[in-house]
Amino acid sequence: MTYKVEELDNVSIVHLNGEVDMDVADKARQTILPLIEIGKNVQVNLSKVDYMDSSGISVLIEGKQLAEKKSTKFELIEVSKPVEKVLSMARKFL
Amino acid sequence: MSEIAHQDHIEKKAFLVNSSSLKDVRVFCREVFEKLHIQEDLKDELVLAIAEAAQNIVKHAFKNSASPTELMVVQISCENNKLQIAFYDRGTPVDPKKVKHREIDNVKPGGLGTFFIQEIMDAVEFKDGKKPWINHLVLTKQL
Repeated sequence: MTYKVEELDNVSIVHLNGEVDMDVADKARQTILPLIEIGKNVQVNLSKVDYMDSSGISVLIEGKQLAEKKSTKFELIEVSKPVEKVLSMARKFL
Repeated sequence: MSEIAHQDHIEKKAFLVNSSSLKDVRVFCREVFEKLHIQEDLKDELVLAIAEAAQNIVKHAFKNSASPTELMVVQISCENNKLQIAFYDRGTPVDPKKVKHREIDNVKPGGLGTFFIQEIMDAVEFKDGKKPWINHLVLTKQL
């Protein structure tokens, strides 16, 4: 997995690229959560993520929960088809 | 259930027990499912279920601290359109009663992997591991 962070006004857009699994979930976590922690609104662009497992979904849940705690915005944008499929399964659970 | 008759097939492969192997597990599964001509959507779901089960071995049976040479084996077999995926490992014995996903109203990260496996597969069964193995998990799906 690779990533790029783009700053746009008060929004940090995190572009994730590749496969997000247990092996790289910490890297995604350490990229996304500190931005929310300092009060940024965060958008995660998932258009180039071609695989995501439960570890990746967990990072997104943590981001959403931290954003609620910090009263910031946390959004998923341009969700790829493979990620949308896993998210739709996870929604039944959430 | 698929109307395609899938040919009988069996294949297995050993992987090191660490998170870096999960990608290799996925590649192996995709290759076998290509040979079985399993349709794309189902293939993605099966790969996810298998990768989650392998992840549970790394994370729970070995608590992320397997020795560098420790192996787990994944065996995929298809007989009479019934797909069976077996996992063998030598980690801490799994108590099947403790393997469950979180309650639906308990929104916390974690526990999702087991939920995905149960959603995707028809059956999840822990069998007695025969030496040298300790855990033997079997996932089945009627194709």
